[in-house]
Amino acid sequence: MTRTSSEAQSGRTPPSRADRRQTRRLRRFDSPWMNPKLFWGLGLLLGIVAIGLLGRLFWNLDLVFTGSNTLKLPPVGFENLRRQEGTWINPLGTDGSGRDMLALIIMGAPNSLFVGLLASLIGMTTGIVLGFTAGFVGGRVDDTIRVLSDVMITIPPLLILVVFQSAFGDVSLTMMALLIAGFVWQSPTRLIRAQVLSMKRSGYVQMAQLSGASVPHIMFREMMPNLVPYLFGSFIASVTTAIVTAVGLEVLGLGPQRIPTLGRTIYEAINAGALIQNLWWWWGLPTLLLGVMFIGLLLINLGLDEVSNPRLRKLS
Amino acid sequence: MFKHLITGTATLALMTGTALAQDVAREDTVIFDLDRTITDPTNFNWLTDGTGVRRMHGGHQVMWEPLFILDYNTGELDPWLAIGFEGNDDSSAFTISLRDGVEWSDGEAFNADDVVFSINLALENEEITAREASAIRSQVASVEKVDDLTVSVTLQAPNPRFMVENFGIRIFGSYLIMPEHIWAGQDAATFTFPEPIGTGPYTFTSAATNRAIWDRNDDWWGAKTGFMDLPEPQRVIFLETGGEESRAQLIAGNDLDAAQNVSVGTFEAVRAQNAAVIAWYEDYPYAAADPCARQLEINTTVAPWDDPAMRRAVAHIIDRSQIVNVAYEGTTEPSRTMFAQYGAMQPFIQAAIAAGGELPMTADVDAAQALIEGAGWTRDGDYYTKDGETLSVEIHVNSASTEYTRTIDVVVEQLQRAGIDARSVPVENGVFWGEVLPFGAYEMSYSWLSCGSVNEPWASMGRYTVKDVVPVGERSPGFNNTARWDGAAAEAYSAAVDEMASLPLGDPQIVDLVGQAYGHLAEEMPFIPLVQAAKLIPFNTTYWEGWPTNDNYYNHPFFWWNTGHQIVHGLTKVE
Repeated sequence: MTRTSSEAQSGRTPPSRADRRQTRRLRRFDSPWMNPKLFWGLGLLLGIVAIGLLGRLFWNLDLVFTGSNTLKLPPVGFENLRRQEGTWINPLGTDGSGRDMLALIIMGAPNSLFVGLLASLIGMTTGIVLGFTAGFVGGRVDDTIRVLSDVMITIPPLLILVVFQSAFGDVSLTMMALLIAGFVWQSPTRLIRAQVLSMKRSGYVQMAQLSGASVPHIMFREMMPNLVPYLFGSFIASVTTAIVTAVGLEVLGLGPQRIPTLGRTIYEAINAGALIQNLWWWWGLPTLLLGVMFIGLLLINLGLDEVSNPRLRKLS
Repeated sequence: MFKHLITGTATLALMTGTALAQDVAREDTVIFDLDRTITDPTNFNWLTDGTGVRRMHGGHQVMWEPLFILDYNTGELDPWLAIGFEGNDDSSAFTISLRDGVEWSDGEAFNADDVVFSINLALENEEITAREASAIRSQVASVEKVDDLTVSVTLQAPNPRFMVENFGIRIFGSYLIMPEHIWAGQDAATFTFPEPIGTGPYTFTSAATNRAIWDRNDDWWGAKTGFMDLPEPQRVIFLETGGEESRAQLIAGNDLDAAQNVSVGTFEAVRAQNAAVIAWYEDYPYAAADPCARQLEINTTVAPWDDPAMRRAVAHIIDRSQIVNVAYEGTTEPSRTMFAQYGAMQPFIQAAIAAGGELPMTADVDAAQALIEGAGWTRDGDYYTKDGETLSVEIHVNSASTEYTRTIDVVVEQLQRAGIDARSVPVENGVFWGEVLPFGAYEMSYSWLSCGSVNEPWASMGRYTVKDVVPVGERSPGFNNTARWDGAAAEAYSAAVDEMASLPLGDPQIVDLVGQAYGHLAEEMPFIPLVQAAKLIPFNTTYWEGWPTNDNYYNHPFFWWNTGHQIVHGLTKVE
């Protein structure tokens, strides 16, 4: 006689390990937002924001400017090619023009995130307005918006942005975000339009129309709440795209000149021969942070996917 | 700007290029670094190119030969296509004697007709823009053939430096002689010289935007007449390597024989990997002194920089020793005056200092702020403001080298701290030399346009006289006075400099005139001298020996100059 059947006979069975896991999993399903991927992703991004905030409180940010420290110092515990040892004055070392790496990271990492968030906020807002309008209003308006976004989606953004930025010379972070925003609204527009088209036929929308609700009311008060998880996912995806684009431009030496960004630090490292001089902290630290940022965004995206799509949750 | 993308493919493209042409072994090929893109590889009309790239991709190092070469070591003019010259008593006319037996690579004889024709090209075509052509146009009255090997040139005004300035490669280039039998009947402003020929020991094989290939002409006139032996390399390649990282990797991996300027750190790293790489000096600071001292060029027509007091304020803010330490890692020295600090320049440097023209090594921000406040600006938070306007400046800088951008980064930082909202605007090499500088499309920019003097003061000082002032939007003749410095002080300065021009070299009066003129210059500061330039040029001795160094000083190591001929001839194959 197996243990299970004897326990079954006794009537009050303590839950087996498998059962407990099952219950835990079910409990987790009760609140789809309690998603570990989401937590980890948010944690990583908040960590970067925290570096930015705490660093501003506890570190001397004037060290970020050209010529404020000894050149090419390694991080604490390492030695550079000239046999100089790292010091606690510049715990993460300095770059080729004497900028403190720690200060660069404190200033630069939130900057990259800021460009991504701002660009995709603008891009998504445009996408939501245009997508809803196209899907809901239809007709000529739909044709115009659809053709516009279809045309824009075929244009490689980096190419255009490189030309733009070379023409502008030095641009501010906000300006860069605005330029990038011009290239992240198309896909949300198309996808939202498709969703709206299918939703338009559903009962509650038709009911709202019959009861005389205004078009903006139906679009944003009735339909949009149903799209929230989806919009979040789309938002995160476009933050990623915007950061990749921004970093791409910075690594080409475009973008802001004096405001530190991770991409520009990498550009300067490559341009000044950091690889051959074995100044790994110069290009390595910003690369590492960008890696963390992208992993964070990816995890959030995966987490949101699971939130909005219950079928994915069962797989975990 | 995005050159490092190109770089990855540079070696690949080079290999393909070589494979297409006739095969020459690596050990018979010498590969030079090119620090800019050959924007129009099929155009060999160097006369209409302000950026120099239609010459420095090999054109004037291996194909077009100069009449003379100035030896920086001895100060002598060594004869090349010419054998000598003679000036009249007041240096207002010169007779040039050409070498016998010189041939163009297509077999035609090189003679006085070519020289007369070429000088007339500059005199008759206002549209051609090369600096050397502008110089000829502003100096020569007429040119005549005396016989097949003699040319006589009459000048508009006496100029004892005429030969060294125009035909001796004092800086970078000389006025190159073009073959009359090809150029005759062509419009010099539009002709592209599609099948270029010269008198040099190499002929053009192929070019793309990132490289130019030249192959040895074993029928070269110089070897036939006994002027010189054929150079040893069978093939010469000029390859655009991109940034410092890629040129360092290429030379460390023996894929490059001579690289453009690198920083000390990079050079030491290359040396650690490849002991065959050498530079001018065996030890620190390795670098050779460059005759073009660096400066901050100011557009004196743009407010508030049209006020000399504001320009002097900027001069006070600049900390030259920090530029030396950060941008040059200590390999050069701060400029004391506008002049290159060569031995022969010392009397003129002293005269300039006596006239109050000495620049401080470090900053005097208080003096600067007093000047700015005197001009009506008040400090409001980080920056000065006046009538609601922030005191700001954009500094244009050529993005081709970290030496340039980093210097301006340091200057920007110093200005920011003193209360001026300065920003650096890096622009691509062609745009910088083609659009920004000559047309005055800038507030301030990083340049070395007072460059010229190596043994006498006029060559540099003569570049800022009022006769070269043109309005913004028009091309400055020969990149002279791009600051557009005008007014009473500029006129007084020009009068003294013009007087200097007519005096024979070595006249003691020149020193007095330098002092006289320099007082006005120091008062008005149309440009602010920054630091002396030093070039750390790595040469690779794996395949080739005989590179110019301090111990083997046949001439300076600037292989992108017209003097590159000497370097190619000086190379010997490592067995």
